[in-house]
Order: sequence, then structure tokens, then C-alpha cells
Amino acid sequence: MTIPPAASWHSDEPTLAAFVDGTVDQVLGASVEAHLMTCADCRGTVARLASTDLLEDVWARVREEVERPATTLVERALIRVGVSEATATLLAAVPALRGAWVLALASATLFAVLGSEASQLFGMVTFLLVAPLAPLLGVAVSFSGDADPSSELVQSTPYSTLRLLLLRTCGVVASAVPVAIVVGLALPGPSWLSVGWLSPAAAVVFLTLALGPHLGHTVSAAVVGASWSLAVAFATRTDSLSELVEPAVQLICLALAAAGAVSVFIHYRPVTHPWRSS
Amino acid sequence: MSTATLVGVSKKYGGTPALDHVDVAFSRGVTGLLGPNGAGKTTLLRILVTALGAETGEVSVLGADPATAHGRLSVRRRLGYAPQETGFPAGFTVFGFVDYMAILKEWSDRATRHAEVRRVVDVVGLGGVATKRLRALSGGQRRRVVLAQSLLGEPDLLVLDEPTAGLDPEQRARLRDTLGEAGQRATVVISTHQTDDVAALCERVVVLHTGEVRFDGLVGDLIGSAAGRVWLSDARDGSARHAWRTGSGRWRNVGDPPEGAELIDPVLEDAYLLLVGDSAELSEMAAAS
Repeated sequence: MTIPPAASWHSDEPTLAAFVDGTVDQVLGASVEAHLMTCADCRGTVARLASTDLLEDVWARVREEVERPATTLVERALIRVGVSEATATLLAAVPALRGAWVLALASATLFAVLGSEASQLFGMVTFLLVAPLAPLLGVAVSFSGDADPSSELVQSTPYSTLRLLLLRTCGVVASAVPVAIVVGLALPGPSWLSVGWLSPAAAVVFLTLALGPHLGHTVSAAVVGASWSLAVAFATRTDSLSELVEPAVQLICLALAAAGAVSVFIHYRPVTHPWRSS
Repeated sequence: MSTATLVGVSKKYGGTPALDHVDVAFSRGVTGLLGPNGAGKTTLLRILVTALGAETGEVSVLGADPATAHGRLSVRRRLGYAPQETGFPAGFTVFGFVDYMAILKEWSDRATRHAEVRRVVDVVGLGGVATKRLRALSGGQRRRVVLAQSLLGEPDLLVLDEPTAGLDPEQRARLRDTLGEAGQRATVVISTHQTDDVAALCERVVVLHTGEVRFDGLVGDLIGSAAGRVWLSDARDGSARHAWRTGSGRWRNVGDPPEGAELIDPVLEDAYLLLVGDSAELSEMAAAS
């Protein structure tokens, strides 16, 4: 049996039309496809039969695959835990979730661990300084003028400023908290040390956000950060460092955090809220 | 029917007035905002895009009052804005950044959003570099990325601050095409200090000088105002307000021509120079009296 040369026969038009519509079975489809590879005439017929809508659709899908930026590790993780794709993209743009920042944070907390090898007091002081200030620095990094160089563009969009602010803060906190909890557990000292810094951290973050619109986020982070550092320094001198993580101070911190949160909400309150008078 | 109106609007920076009792209205079509650097163009645009509030006077944009939060939101939903200078968050590709802006513009469905992003990236001619990182682009390409995001969703009000800065002639021709099309259905306001841009891109021109509106009308009418005030001579004419040697070796003079001068048709630049010169003279006279 001899195989005829490819160009000596042609698929009939109904078959090619069915191929274009995708209604041929797998075997026929494969053989038409093989034939098309070698037959310019039939390719011409297919080109004529294929609607431009179909071609545009295929082209759009090809471009979608090629042009869509690769999702980062952070985005994939966020989508996996149920965050919407759009929100994950916004979160991934937060500077505090970028490599350099996470690295800086990890080295700062590592410093606290190494310090504790030298002396327990030094380790605790460093940890109490670094742990609440890390999210604070993240906020400063994410909200200062340089952090969002496109802020003028972002401001001209209808996206809720409050939502964006909270999203970014969540991003910062999510990047800072797990590391600090693990380090806190590894440190010698009172066992609640590993979580006791959380309410001071909440207080400094919300106070910074609350003062931000009035002082600028960099200045407000500096003021709040300096205040916390002074508190730690004072507690170290008076030998009452552990009191910083005891109930009284914790309650004060939580109250400050709540006050900051309320102030943030009032400043950026969503305009679509029914009780908002215009 | 005006899309945006400013009545008696003033705005000061420190003690210096950037806008001084400006009355101006914008409607469908392309309007050029022309004036020297520091004339108040950017301030006026930033008031239009709800980034700044007016100190005095009344502003209405797309039927809403930008002084209220509701008003600002409703303006921002129908607005496209390309500021003069902007940075970009680190690490984005062209497609990624325009997509990011589309999310901020409330396009939540991914398929339709990506289709729209592809459309605007193609419109500005960046389809071929959509996967490139922004930092790998040229200045002109980055300007076009900013332009692309402003076109998302075919906004009813398109505000572009110095859109031609850093564009080569071919890119400018393309921009003219894009704006002409947008001007068919939307209000397009562009600022520039280049008379060429206005002549090429705009139907209407508003000339701002030291925070005041000095001309507001058709580009042709502004050019017409210089008729009989431009002439050629073999040497610099002493009576000219501005004179320069042209490529042909002869001098082009703008001002009040002497008797028997060889008058030629004015272009927009002549008219603009005369207008701004006259305004400066008037303010000097006002200051002296």
C-alpha cells in the first residue's frame, strides 16, 4: 500500500467546517490536524471557515496566558486561604511583603535571639523593642510618601481609602507577627513574653495610623516608636521590664489601640455608609 | 452642556495664588489648557480630579460636588487621570500595573478586567511589551503606561497633565489619534506648555497665565487674533515684540508691524506669544497705576 502525497487529496469542506466548530470526534480531529500541517490549500479553507470571533477568542486566551504576571508566592498563599484574586493582587503590592523587608525583619528578630545567648536581660530588652516596632516600621515603610510612588494615581480611583489602608496594615502585620511569635517562644524568660508584645504592637500600629494623616506617616511612626523605646528604656532602668507585658500595661495598650482604631475609622470612614451625612 | 464647571475658583500655595477667580467650563471634545510653567495648569487639573479642593468658588464635576465625599466618589468612578509625574510600586510589569489600577477602579471580575487591560495596553501601542517590567521601559513608554491606565473603562472625563512630555513624533501622532477618538464621547482636558500640542490635539483652548484665564475659545479664534500682526523681514525688526530667524534665513516678527510690512498668516504660537505678552503688559500697567 502506498500513501498518497499530502497535497494530492483534500479534506471536504463539511469535514473542515466540523473541525473548526469542534464537533468532529477525536480520531477524525487528529487526522484532519495532521493533514492541515502539510496542506496549504486546506489551511486556506480553514482560515476562511473560522470566524474572526473564534480567532479573537483564541488569541485573547493565548495573550491571557502569556501576559498575566506570574502570581507570587504571597498571592498564591492568600488566594489559597480564601482571599479574592483582586485583593491578593493589591496586598502583594504592599512594600512590607516584599523580600527585602521580610529579610530585614528576620535579621532584626534573629539579633534578639543571638542577644539572649549573651544575656537574658539583653535578649528581652531587644525583643521587647524589636517585636512591637517591627510592624510599626512596616507601616512606616508601607505608608510613607516613598512607599507608594503612585499615590496620586491611587487617590484618583474610587477604591475605599479605609479598605486599602486596612489591607496594607494586614499585610504588614501578617509579615511581622509569625516571626516574632516564634522568636518569643524561643527566648528564655516569662512564657507569655511570646504573645505579651502583641498588644503594645497593636497600640503602636494603630496610633501611627491614627496620627499619620495629621503628622505624615513617617513622623508619626517616629514619634510613636520613640515613645515605646522610652518606655522600654525606663522599664529597664527601673528593673521592671516584665511589667511591660503584665495585665495593667496590656490593658492600657489595648485601650490605646482601640482609640487609634476608632480615630482611623472616623478619619477614613467609608462614604457609602448609610449614617454618613454628606 | 458642560461636564465640569469652575466658578470663581481660587487656590493659594503659601501666600502665592495658583488660581485667581477662575471661571471656566469644560464639555465634550478635547480642550487644551495652555500656559507657561507655573501658570496654575496642574492646580486646575488637580481640582478637576478631586485631588485638591478649591479655597473659594464653586466646582461641579460630572454633575457632582467634589467637596463632599459622595461627590468625590461619584467623580472618581467616571474619571481617567494621568498625572504629570508619577512613580510606580516596585516590581510590576506593564500588564501587572495596569491590572493593579483596574482593581483599584473596581473591576473585580478577572476575565473582563484582563480583557479591558489588554485593550488599553494595545490602544497606547504597548501590546508588544506588556510582559516587560516597568523599570526596563523608556521614559516615553512609561508615560504611555500612565496614559493606558487613564483609559480604563472609557471614562467620561479624561484629564491628562502634560501627556506629550517625553514622547517622540510618532508617539505624539498616536496620542493625537487616541485623544481624538476619546473626545468623540468624553470630555478630555489636557495641559501643556507647547502650542504645537494644542494646535494638533485640541478643538478648544484655555490659556492660563499667572493663575488667570486669558483666553477661552476655539483654537482657530486664538490664531485669528494674531492676524495682521506677523510679518517677515530680512533683519530683526525693531518694532517687533518677538522676532526670530527662521530656517529660510529670514526673520519672523510678531508684534505691531510697520507700514508696508510683508504680512503672513499667523500660527498658534504667534497668537499665544502676543496674548501672554499683552497680558504681561496689562499687569505691568495695572501695577504702575
